[in-house]
Amino acid sequence: MTADVFIFWFLAILTIVSALSVVLMTNPIYSALSLAMTMVSVAAIFVTLQAYFLAGVQLIVYAGAVMVLFVMVLMLFDLKNELQAFSRGKFTGAIKVGAVGILAGLIVGAVGSFIMAGKSGAPVTPEASTSADATKALSEHLFFNHVFGFEALGVLLLVIAVGTVALSRSKGGTHAKH
Amino acid sequence: MTSMGSTSFEITINLIKLVLVFLMMVQAVPILVWLERRGSAFIQNRFGPNRVGPLGLLQLLADAVKFLTKEDFAPEKGNRFMFYAAPVFALIPAAIAYMAVPMSVPLKLDGHTFLIQGFEINVGIVFILGISSLAAYTILMAGWGSGSKFSLMGAMRASAQIISYELALGLSIVGVILLYGTFNLTEMVNMQQGPLTFSMFGYTVTSSYLPNWGIFYQPVGMILFFAATFAESNRLPFDLAEGEAELVAGFHTEYGGFKMLMFFIGEYGHMMIASGLMTTFFFGGYGIPGISFQEMHQIGLNLLGTETLASIFNTVVHFLSYNLKFAIFLWIFIHVRWTLPRFRYDQLMDLGWKTMLPWALANTMLTAVVIFAASYFTI
Repeated sequence: MTADVFIFWFLAILTIVSALSVVLMTNPIYSALSLAMTMVSVAAIFVTLQAYFLAGVQLIVYAGAVMVLFVMVLMLFDLKNELQAFSRGKFTGAIKVGAVGILAGLIVGAVGSFIMAGKSGAPVTPEASTSADATKALSEHLFFNHVFGFEALGVLLLVIAVGTVALSRSKGGTHAKH
Repeated sequence: MTSMGSTSFEITINLIKLVLVFLMMVQAVPILVWLERRGSAFIQNRFGPNRVGPLGLLQLLADAVKFLTKEDFAPEKGNRFMFYAAPVFALIPAAIAYMAVPMSVPLKLDGHTFLIQGFEINVGIVFILGISSLAAYTILMAGWGSGSKFSLMGAMRASAQIISYELALGLSIVGVILLYGTFNLTEMVNMQQGPLTFSMFGYTVTSSYLPNWGIFYQPVGMILFFAATFAESNRLPFDLAEGEAELVAGFHTEYGGFKMLMFFIGEYGHMMIASGLMTTFFFGGYGIPGISFQEMHQIGLNLLGTETLASIFNTVVHFLSYNLKFAIFLWIFIHVRWTLPRFRYDQLMDLGWKTMLPWALANTMLTAVVIFAASYFTI
């Protein structure tokens, strides 16, 4: 077993275990922290795939900013442990069965396509490139090929931010007297 | 390469380096604590610790023994797992981020090249920012795990402050990245070699005595970056987390003994990252003004004779140069702490969002326009 294989299996198992514990933990704060752990280990997997820039951005944006806000807000609530990890009921049961079906289909599809690709020929090896080139290629894709989509997304985020401020300030916002 | 290495020799060397850089960081903390206590005493016209050993240097050893032998206690209402995990996590982001800072020219021995940094990563800045942004979790975990209102309020303040200043911190570096055109810290250091040279519109102005350091290109970026790193490492004038009058000691109110010492090491680790990055971005890294790496190698060759010894000489001299600059910034951190009073919380938020963020944005835009103009109108 070479070092690469060891690191891959270590990170893969870490990612899956922490992703599972997001769902299985009964305490919401543990769930949020497990989600942060999942994001960190996904970033580590990006590093092993030599996508350094993506790994850094994953850490800064998701693990470092978004999830910290989630955890902060969760800690302000007086949360108790849920008695059971899954709710009961016919309607939610149907949703659960449907979700399990979709997950099983995804796994079968992924394994099937992997086997088919294995039969059809040699595995696809990406061209060797330094990460500086990869960062440059990413920015060229974003700012030349998809510049309109990128700008539209920026406008959408701005609209969301303005909308949030407007909602929170309407009727006196957090200082409203009921 | 940036990976762990292909042969077992390279992997072993890299692992040893990881341990060495971590030990360097941890060993620097007692010296910094001593400097902080003696320095604060000097500033406030007191003596400071001066009884144990020469100049009070053995006080650190006595402190360490005291910390180790203290009673280990945890609050009853808290969450034991989080309470014990938080101090350990406090060490990790600081230690990993400091690994990526280059500290000297590569050492060449028997055809091997040893980089004097934990590991070289091509997007060094993004990596360091990403890793050190994880520090907010440790504060939140400590505050929540303690099960005390003061701890939780302190944690909320500290993490809100860190998130707010991360924006200004990230934006203040964008100008530097635009200027050098790379994310790689070693390449940045190499670009700051030689005398100060401006080239614009086909003209080139060279200074005879100033070094080609980033501070002359990005003075506003330098000030913003340095101020934001004070906030990021939770030190005065930004140590709102530790408002003794209203919050006892912030997120580490319930901690004692070695657990509190680990938070201390984490805080000093952030100071070290900040000083290392200041040196690398704006003050020429490990370079020495007026003399290039090759010239220093030549001096070593003349002095010592063999190529190997010259390489060792070169590395050691530049390592000392890096550490001198590094120590100067650490001293500024300590001096500021004992000079300026603490901000009020609303002043802190106003400074972050309404002053530093617009200035950083303006600096980014201005730098982009100037760099575009300089490259566009030359022909």
